[in-house]
Amino acid sequence: MNGPGNDHAETHMNGLFSSAGQSSRRQFLNRTGMGMGALALAQMLQEDGLLAAPPKPISKPAHYDLTPKPPMFEPQARAVISMFMHGGPSHVDLFDPKPELQKRDGQDYPGEIVYSFVNRASKKLLGSPWKFAHHGQSGTAVSELLPHTAKIIDDVCVIRSMHTGHNGHEVSIRYFHGGIAGILGRPTLGSWVVYGLGTENQNLPAYMVLTDPDGLPVDGVTNWSNGFMPPMFQGTVLRPREPRIFNLNPPEYLRGEVQKRNLAFLRELNAEHADKYPGEGDLEARIASYELAARMQTAATDALDISNESEATKKLYGIDDPVTREYGTRCLIARRLVERGVRFVQMFLGGQPWDNHSDIKKTLAGICAKTDKPAAALVYDLKSRGLLDSTIVHWGGEIGRLPVTEGTGPGAGRDHNGQGFTVWLAGGGFKGGMTYGATDEFGHKAVENVVTPNDFQATLLNRLGLDHTKLMYQHNGREERLTSNAPNARVVKEILV
Amino acid sequence: MIDFQITNMVGRIFGLILASSTLTAFAEDVTAKKEAKPEISAQLTFEKDIKPILRAHCLDCHGGVEGKKGKLDMRLVRTMLSGGETGPAIEPGNVDESYLIARIVDHEMPPKGAGVSPAELEKLKTWIAQGAKTARPEPAPEALGTTLGLTPEERAYWAFRPIADPTPPSVKSTGRVRTTVDKFLLASLEPLGIGFREDADKLTLIRRVTLDLAGVPPSPAEVRAFLADNRPDAYERLVDRLLASPQYGERWARHWMDVAGYADSDGGSAADTDRPHAWRYRDWLIRAFNDDKPLDAFLTEQLAGDEFVPRPWNNLTPHQVDLLTATGFLRMPADPTAADYSETARNQVMTDTIKVVTSTTLGLSVACAQCHDHRYDPISHVDYYRLRGMFDPALHWEGFRQPGARVVSLYRDLDRAAAAAVEEQVKPLAEKRAAYQADAMKRALVKELEKYQEPLKSQLKTAAETAADKRTPEMNALLDANPSVKISPGVLYQYLPDAAEELKKMDAAIGAVRAKKPPENFIAIYDEPPDRKPPVTKRLHRGDYRQPLEEVKPGIPEVLKPEGAVLDLDGTVQPAGHSSGRRTAFARWLFSDENPLTARVLANRIWMHHFGRGLVATAGEFGRLGEPPTHPELLDHLASELKRNGWRLKNFHKLIVLSSAYRQKAVRDPGRMSDDPDADGRLLSRFPVHRLDAETIRDRILAASGHLDNQMYGPPVDVQADDSGQVVVAGDSGRRSVYVKQKRSQPVSLMAAFDAPVMETHCERRTSATVATQSLMLLNGTFLLGEANRLAIAALDQKFVPEMIQAESISKGLASGTKMPDEPAALSGAVATIWERTLSRPPSEKELGRSLEFVREHVRTGAPPLPGLKGDNARDKYLTALAHLGQSLMASNEFLYTD
Repeated sequence: MNGPGNDHAETHMNGLFSSAGQSSRRQFLNRTGMGMGALALAQMLQEDGLLAAPPKPISKPAHYDLTPKPPMFEPQARAVISMFMHGGPSHVDLFDPKPELQKRDGQDYPGEIVYSFVNRASKKLLGSPWKFAHHGQSGTAVSELLPHTAKIIDDVCVIRSMHTGHNGHEVSIRYFHGGIAGILGRPTLGSWVVYGLGTENQNLPAYMVLTDPDGLPVDGVTNWSNGFMPPMFQGTVLRPREPRIFNLNPPEYLRGEVQKRNLAFLRELNAEHADKYPGEGDLEARIASYELAARMQTAATDALDISNESEATKKLYGIDDPVTREYGTRCLIARRLVERGVRFVQMFLGGQPWDNHSDIKKTLAGICAKTDKPAAALVYDLKSRGLLDSTIVHWGGEIGRLPVTEGTGPGAGRDHNGQGFTVWLAGGGFKGGMTYGATDEFGHKAVENVVTPNDFQATLLNRLGLDHTKLMYQHNGREERLTSNAPNARVVKEILV
Repeated sequence: MIDFQITNMVGRIFGLILASSTLTAFAEDVTAKKEAKPEISAQLTFEKDIKPILRAHCLDCHGGVEGKKGKLDMRLVRTMLSGGETGPAIEPGNVDESYLIARIVDHEMPPKGAGVSPAELEKLKTWIAQGAKTARPEPAPEALGTTLGLTPEERAYWAFRPIADPTPPSVKSTGRVRTTVDKFLLASLEPLGIGFREDADKLTLIRRVTLDLAGVPPSPAEVRAFLADNRPDAYERLVDRLLASPQYGERWARHWMDVAGYADSDGGSAADTDRPHAWRYRDWLIRAFNDDKPLDAFLTEQLAGDEFVPRPWNNLTPHQVDLLTATGFLRMPADPTAADYSETARNQVMTDTIKVVTSTTLGLSVACAQCHDHRYDPISHVDYYRLRGMFDPALHWEGFRQPGARVVSLYRDLDRAAAAAVEEQVKPLAEKRAAYQADAMKRALVKELEKYQEPLKSQLKTAAETAADKRTPEMNALLDANPSVKISPGVLYQYLPDAAEELKKMDAAIGAVRAKKPPENFIAIYDEPPDRKPPVTKRLHRGDYRQPLEEVKPGIPEVLKPEGAVLDLDGTVQPAGHSSGRRTAFARWLFSDENPLTARVLANRIWMHHFGRGLVATAGEFGRLGEPPTHPELLDHLASELKRNGWRLKNFHKLIVLSSAYRQKAVRDPGRMSDDPDADGRLLSRFPVHRLDAETIRDRILAASGHLDNQMYGPPVDVQADDSGQVVVAGDSGRRSVYVKQKRSQPVSLMAAFDAPVMETHCERRTSATVATQSLMLLNGTFLLGEANRLAIAALDQKFVPEMIQAESISKGLASGTKMPDEPAALSGAVATIWERTLSRPPSEKELGRSLEFVREHVRTGAPPLPGLKGDNARDKYLTALAHLGQSLMASNEFLYTD
């Protein structure tokens, strides 16, 4: 793939991620002062038939850090806020109206369907109980369940043709986060972003995850795993309760002057030790990391304190309403984090609130009521502060729901659907007020401009100035990419500004 | 083919020539040339130069597992010439007419992946221009079968060559040669005009070698004794003592647990079910290291211990129990099948098992060949399934047994008889209970139905009394509409509380009788079901278990056997008639002279643990995707020594830790700060400063505070979330970290922060990150703060007293600064104790004085008291200040790094 500014990409890759790539060998030797013995060895290995050297560095970088890295090409966005709506938001009730489905409500779906819950499976089409209307100048269709999202819809790009090909939550969630369906143990999207770009505010974690008071999402902490990357690329959890960040604040008796004195003493100890071992980079890095830790205590406390936000802002996010207060607070904090240079923020919900297998009329309405206003407020607020252009806002789950009913009567719901569903993106170089792709006439399968999670990832990375085929990490001697299994993943150019 | 020795000599001579020139300038010159035109002058051959490029980019689709797209087979020059649908792929001598080049230049081929690099393209062009030569006449395409074919060049890769057992080179600085290791290292240093640093002082040495061999710091008394031991062999004695200590096994078992992927939970799914018997395998490992079990037995038992134990397994001897426990190794990969019995999950267990076994024993990324021929190493798709055949009898997704079904009871016949006798006593009680419950349910229903009118009453009665699986939909609907008549045993208490109480009493009585049974213990083992024939192993299209291709005989990858040798595992070993014997055959082969990899891989891994870096830095990857060895001859020497020592480790450790290389200072030569030919220390011109691993950090903290509990073995110490939600060791336990529960979904926060692996599959080499979360953990985390408080109390109460520092130093230290009026008499002693116990050395007079000043400052400024202290008396104030001192010392680099 030849993105804009490919030349930069080359420099970037060699300078940064493949410290001893062919063309930067000299630089590598200079930096490490690798001795002649090693060079002679390299010569020996040349003789040894190691001629078509695999495209890989001889050595991993000596250490990793989170300092800002230049993107590979001119970026459109510098930060991401992802509202992960796991469970499978019912696209046919929210963003993807299907007249045919309404018309044939109660009739049999004319085709094959893959179910997850066979015991309650049915082929009977279930028309959406909710009305859709066209909104904004773009006239994008939005369900009456999302009145607030409808108001910002001109800033939103709705993708109706998402496809994982898997019905399961875990399988698809891992596809979205780690890049390979069903596989755990890989770095997540946020890890790749902060690995590639570092972060702008060294006093705050680069990759932050806001969890729900009702508990962790399906798959727990692996949703923000660093996988095979060093732990610094893991999402830092901002907990819904105090302490919001583990160990951020000292216990009462250590606060203030006491800890300052301790840190000063520690600095002395470490300085003397470092004098003894000059040139040991890791010792110096650790000294710096104590300084950072001290600064983080202030910076993070400040970022989380929303008491100085205006009443109007709080109201905008629904913080005045018990239904929206919690999610609204998190959306507001997400904005504050991005404002302060945090690179990647992801919000999760407890359990599977979008997994509306039964009683969809009540359960879907409930989760919409909790999230609609805050999510819309986030886009609106970012825009009014001039931050939307540089921030990608993502709303979406890992799957959607079937057009047929699961169960009958008032308890009816919809089963999983990995064949076609909707997510939306706003800001950060995405076209507002557009819909992209389409599902079949009932909303079961994506049939037009299909977008896989890998395409989605490639596109997000592209907006951040990263080429998914070139953002590589050496693991066990192999070059891993977020899209390792899909080198042909495409940047969805049609939705880019 | 160039002989390995000669190649090495060439390398050395090359190094020598370079050493005499201006080093850096010349180095740049050499590399600059290399970059510009990668040796175009030489005559390129297909086998040596071109096939690796095609293997990486083309062969999957043109000759390999995906067939011959466009009818083009690029495995051989002859088939490239005969060409495919669009004609010949190359035109020897004519680059411009060669279709292959045109397709690459147009970015049409390869259609995916990173693409052919400019250097590779240049090489392809040169080769074609030179006439597209082969090194020798090529075989017929049919002779290759479905593989890519093995060339002598591929067999000649360094890691596949026989272990050379080179004679240690002679060196100039003979005074620095203590063991043969030194000769090999000096031989690469001397041409650069450098050598080892001088020996580290005794204080440093005892700290270094104790942390390395035992994973805990030396106690102050041990340090004092070592300092006072003036015998010439004091250090050797120290090493012997450490190797004989039980802590040695705990430390080195932990290293192996990394590569095995040890966990006390099943992983692979969010359920992360517990793995209740894993610890017995951990204990087996600790015993094996402490007993100095030879590595061949060590690995054979782990791979195939079950094949040495004749069935039935009813009355196992302790030795047989050990053999079966060892197979716990093969039970370490993530196995979610207790919670997720999907075909994918079952198949994944197999995949992970192969990955762990091959990278552990062979140091090759064989797993790459699951879907296609390995792109860089000569491991074919078929080879992968040869190895997979080893595990098909037990792990094939059809006939797969869930974790709970793969355990052996340690009951003997005697125990079984005793248990059966107890069950006999239970029988009448259980019958009585069942009858009572049935009656109670009836009574409850009758009572509940009183609330209803006819005809509903009778309809409900019929529905409720019909067995659940016999009910008609109408009955179900009726019951659903009137849920209160759906009385189950679980809700009986809501209807008849007295009856429920009575049942509880009966349960208790039954429980009391059952408690008389002898306790039944289990081990989780790996075995092949005795009643089932091994399934036929098949190659799988793109690794998909649903797309089997042709049959593959279980065996060894072709490149690892001599040309023409039989690769099969079947039939080489006849086990006791209940197992295929494939794993035993594999283990035998691992330690045969035929296989150069295992000895090298194991020797390298041990070296890595001593120095913090392997001779091959990628300890789990010796293939072309890994890094080459910094000292290939030394690596072969170590591999040979390992064999010569009868595969026993303890003597082997001595070869390393008694060397001058290991004993030298970690401080750089101040004379070559800016111009060090060994700037990154890879050539070991100094001992490498490196951070302690997570377990050692925690254990060292516990040792410092006196909280370390030396109890060995047994079920893991539990973990739990603390008030803040962080995962901590439960019950404030002071057990060593190796005994702390390794639950994949709940890694202890402190350990994970310091890079303890959270096992997804396994860990070949730990990372060592430096991040603020670690600092926050040491500044504000409850664990370190608690241990610092403990240490302060023990020091001030003189439970521990200074062992190393001279009395006069204490008094001198005391004299510095201004004494506070309420100062406890033991204060300076306590300060010295805290230094000794944290850093394993006495403070200098200056450090003592400065520390006292630090303590006094906290007291003077009225630092708030530690939790639990009132702070209104001198003792509380000084305890608080001393805790701050201890915490600072334990958070310092000197504490966290070995030097």
